[in-house]
Amino acid sequence: MKKALLLALAMTATTSMAAPFIYPAAWTAEQNTANKRGGEFRDFIISDFKTSNPFTSAEADSIPITMEAGAGLFIQDPRNDEFIPKMAAGPAVVSNNNKRFVVKIRPDMKFSDGQAITAEDWITTWKIHTDDKVGSNSYDSFFINDKPVTIKKIDNLTLQFDFPSQSSTALATMSFTPWPDHVFGKAYKAGGAEAVKKLWGLGTNASEIVSPGMWVLESYRAGERAVFKKNTNFGAWNTDSKGNALPYLDKYSYRVVADQNAGLAAYLAGQIDTFGVRNADDLAQIKKAIDGGNLKAYLKANVSPQAQSSWITFNWNKASDPAKQTLFRDVRFRRAMSHIANRQAMIQLALGGLGTENYFSVYPIFKSQIDAGIAAGAPRYQYDLSQATKLLAQLGYTKKNAQGYLTGKDGKVLEFNMATNAGNTTREQLGRIFTDEAKKVGVKVNFTPIDFNTLVGQLTSKGENRPFDAILLGLANGTNTWPFGVNVVPCGTNLHSFNNPTDGKCATSQEQLMTKLFYQGQAELNTAKRLAIGAQIMKAEGELQPVIYLVGNNYHVTFNSRVSGEFPATLMDGYYESRNVALTFIK
Amino acid sequence: MFPFLIRRFFQSIPTLLLASVLIFFVISLAPGDFLTPARLNPGISEQQLANLSASFGLDKPAYVQYFYWMRNMIFHGDFGLSFQYTQPVLPVIWPRIVNSVYLVLLNLVFFYAIAIPIGVYGAVRQNSFGDKAINVVLYFLLGFPSFFLFLIVIYLILNIRNATGWDIPLGGMTSGNYDQLSSLGQFWDVLRHLLIPALVLAVTDAAGLTRVIRGLMLEVMRSDYIRTARAKGVSESSAIWKHTFRNAILPIVAGIGGLLPAAISGAGFVEVVYAYPGITPMLLTAITASDLYLIAGFTVISTILLIIGNALSDILLAVVDPRIKVG
Repeated sequence: MKKALLLALAMTATTSMAAPFIYPAAWTAEQNTANKRGGEFRDFIISDFKTSNPFTSAEADSIPITMEAGAGLFIQDPRNDEFIPKMAAGPAVVSNNNKRFVVKIRPDMKFSDGQAITAEDWITTWKIHTDDKVGSNSYDSFFINDKPVTIKKIDNLTLQFDFPSQSSTALATMSFTPWPDHVFGKAYKAGGAEAVKKLWGLGTNASEIVSPGMWVLESYRAGERAVFKKNTNFGAWNTDSKGNALPYLDKYSYRVVADQNAGLAAYLAGQIDTFGVRNADDLAQIKKAIDGGNLKAYLKANVSPQAQSSWITFNWNKASDPAKQTLFRDVRFRRAMSHIANRQAMIQLALGGLGTENYFSVYPIFKSQIDAGIAAGAPRYQYDLSQATKLLAQLGYTKKNAQGYLTGKDGKVLEFNMATNAGNTTREQLGRIFTDEAKKVGVKVNFTPIDFNTLVGQLTSKGENRPFDAILLGLANGTNTWPFGVNVVPCGTNLHSFNNPTDGKCATSQEQLMTKLFYQGQAELNTAKRLAIGAQIMKAEGELQPVIYLVGNNYHVTFNSRVSGEFPATLMDGYYESRNVALTFIK
Repeated sequence: MFPFLIRRFFQSIPTLLLASVLIFFVISLAPGDFLTPARLNPGISEQQLANLSASFGLDKPAYVQYFYWMRNMIFHGDFGLSFQYTQPVLPVIWPRIVNSVYLVLLNLVFFYAIAIPIGVYGAVRQNSFGDKAINVVLYFLLGFPSFFLFLIVIYLILNIRNATGWDIPLGGMTSGNYDQLSSLGQFWDVLRHLLIPALVLAVTDAAGLTRVIRGLMLEVMRSDYIRTARAKGVSESSAIWKHTFRNAILPIVAGIGGLLPAAISGAGFVEVVYAYPGITPMLLTAITASDLYLIAGFTVISTILLIIGNALSDILLAVVDPRIKVG
C-alpha cells in the first residue's frame, strides 16, 4: 500500500515536472481525430534563402525563423492577445516596480541534437544579439529608449530579466528564441562577433544545424528548395489537447520562386499548399481554378485588414520656399487634403474593392485601439470636397484661374509636387486618384513616381530644407501590444516624416503631447489604460493630421484542401494569419 | 607562346582595373544603398542602422570602400562580402554558377548541333526552298525575346501535360523527390529539366551562327582550291566537310574565347522564367537589393574569364590555322 502510494506520488511528481505545453484545442478549426501523421506542408518563398544563421538573418521568411517555431518563453494567444508560458514553466514572477521578471524554464527541453536547453542558451543568445558588431536584426528589441535590458542566470533553469523602465512589451521582448550555447557560445568566446557571423551559412551541411524549435533543416538546394524535418525532441514537451506529440507533420518545405506570379502559378498547379493573395486579380484566378475543378482549396476573402497603411506626408521643413512651408504647416490645409482623399474610390479602383479605409497611424487591424480612439473622439476627415473647398477658402484660395486651379492673393496657383516609388502600381493609382480629386477643388498636384531609394532618402532626410513637397508611401510592421511606431511618433525619429529639423525638435504642442504619450503608453502594463493612452495619441494625431492616411489592403486566406488544422475563422487575421503549423495535418 | 602569355597578363591589368572601377562606382553612385529598405521599418532604431552601416562598411566614402575591396581581392583573393547573405561572395555565387554552366553547356551542344548542319546545308543548297524556309523560321525566332518565346513554350507544355498526363518539367532544376533518387536517377532528373530550356535557347539563337557559317562556306566554296579539289575527283562530302568547312570556321574559332565568361554568366532571362536556380535570378535580386560586392565580385570574375578566354582563342586559332603564330 505504502509502495503504491509512493509510486503514485512519484508519478504525479514526474508528470508535473515534465508537463508538456498543450496547444489549445481551440487553436484549430478541425481536430485531428483520426490522428493523421506525417506528410509535408509545401510553402513558397520569393527569390531565395540568405542564411541559416539566426544572428545575421534579416528576412521575414528565413531558415532560422522557420526552425524556431514554437520556441520562446511566452507565446501570444490569438484568442485574447495574452502571452502564455511556452518554454517558461509558469508565469514570470514580477518585482522591482514591474521592472524585474524572474522566469523558471521548463525542464527537460532538448535541442534537435539532444543537448539540454538551459538558461545559458538564453544568456549567450542575448549577448550575441546585443553585440553591435554582429549587426543582429533583434538588436533593438533589447533596448528601451536606448537603455539596455539585462539578463542574468540565477541557476540552470532560472533567468532574471531587468528592464531599464516599465515596458508594455516586456513579455514579447523576453520571448526571443534561445540558440545553442554549445554552438554559438563556443564560437563567440573563441572568435567574437566575426566567428559567429561565419557560422551556419548556406553552404553549411544541414546535419550541423541545431534547432530548439519545431523544425530542423534537412536539406537545402540553392535557388530551388529547403526542406525541414520535424524536431522529434520538440514533441517531448509539446502536445495537442489529447497528449499526442506535435507537430503532426513530418516535413515543412519551401519552394523558391522568382516572384509572386510564379508562386501563384505553382499554387494553382497544386505544387504548393498556400499562397499570399495580394489583390482581386489573384483572388479571381484562384476562384476560377476552384470553380473549374482544377484546384481543391479553401478560399476566404477579406478576412481582415492587413497590418499596413498608405499615406501622404507633407514636408514642414522647406526653408527655400517659405510660402509652401507655411501652407504645409497650416492644419486647415492638411485637413482639406484629407477631405480630398476619396478613400472609397481608392479601394474600388486601386485595390479592386478589397481594402480598408485608414485615418490613423494605427493600422485598422488593431481594432481595439481604433475603437478606443474613435470612442475618445479622434476625428476623421472623410471624403468631402465641399468641406475641402471651404477650408481652402479660409486660407485665401477663393479664385480659380482659366485652367480651373485656385490662385492665392499673389496670383500664384495652389500647387505642390507629390512623389511615390516608381514601379508600385497600386501607389501610382492611389496618387492619380488623389490628383484627380484635388483637381476638382482646384488644387494642382504634380504627381511623379521616382526611384524608390531616392524617395526613401528624401523622406528620411533631416534639416531645415528637406528636398520634397509631399510623398505618398506606405508603412507596415508593428505589434498589437503597443501599435505605435517607436520610429514614427516621437519627434526627431527617422520616420517622423513631416517634420524633421536638424535639432529634431517638435514644431507643435500636439507633437510634444504625442511624444510624451508614446513613452507613457509604451511603459503602461494595464491593457485598458494603455488603450486609453493610445486613444489620446489618436485624438491628437487626428486633429493635427500630420500625415494623411489613405487605405490599406485586406488579408485573404487560401490553402490547398489537402491540409487541415487551420485556425477557426474567428481567429484568422492579418496579424496571426491562418494557422499554427504544430496543429496542421494532411487529411 | 610564353612571352605571349606574359604580355597578355600585363595588358590585362589596366583592363581589369578600369572594369573594376567602373562597375564599383556605377553601383555605388546610384541613390540609396543596401540599408535603404530598412530605413522604412518603423521598428529599426538609428543606432541599429548605424551599427549595420558600420558592419557593412557603408559608413565610409565610396573610394575608401573601393580600396578596401581591391586590397582584399589582390592580397587575400576575397571578392567581398555579400550584404544579403552576410557571407563571402565566392561561396555564395559558386553553386549558382555551376547550375548555370550545366544549362549553358547543354545549350551549346544543341546550338552547334543545330546551327552547323543548317548553315552547311544552306550553303550547299543555296537559295533552294529548304534554305529559304529554314531561314524564315530562324529569323522569326531570332526576332522573339527568348524569355517571351519561353513563356509560350511553358504554356504549350502545360497544355500537353494536362492533355496527356506526362510529367514534363515546367521549371526548376530538380524534382521534389530528388534527394531520394539514385545517382543515375538524379542525373536523369537534372537532364530532363535541362532539355527543354537548352533546346529552346539553342533554336532561337541558331539563326545568327547559321547565317555566318552559310556565308563563310559560300565564300570558301567559290575559291580556286575547292574547284581544284573537286576537279581532282575528291568526293562531295570530303570537299564540303574537309576542305570547305575546316577553312570556313576559322572566324568562329576566334570567337570561342567569349564562351568562357558566357558559360558562367548564365542563360539570361530564360533562367528567371523557367525558375532555374542559375546565376541570373541571383544577380537580378542582388541588383534590386544593392548588394554591391555580389554584383561587383561577379563582374570581376567574369572579366577575368573573358581575358583568359580571349587568350585561349588566340592560341586555339594558331593551332587551327598554320598561317597564324602567337609570340
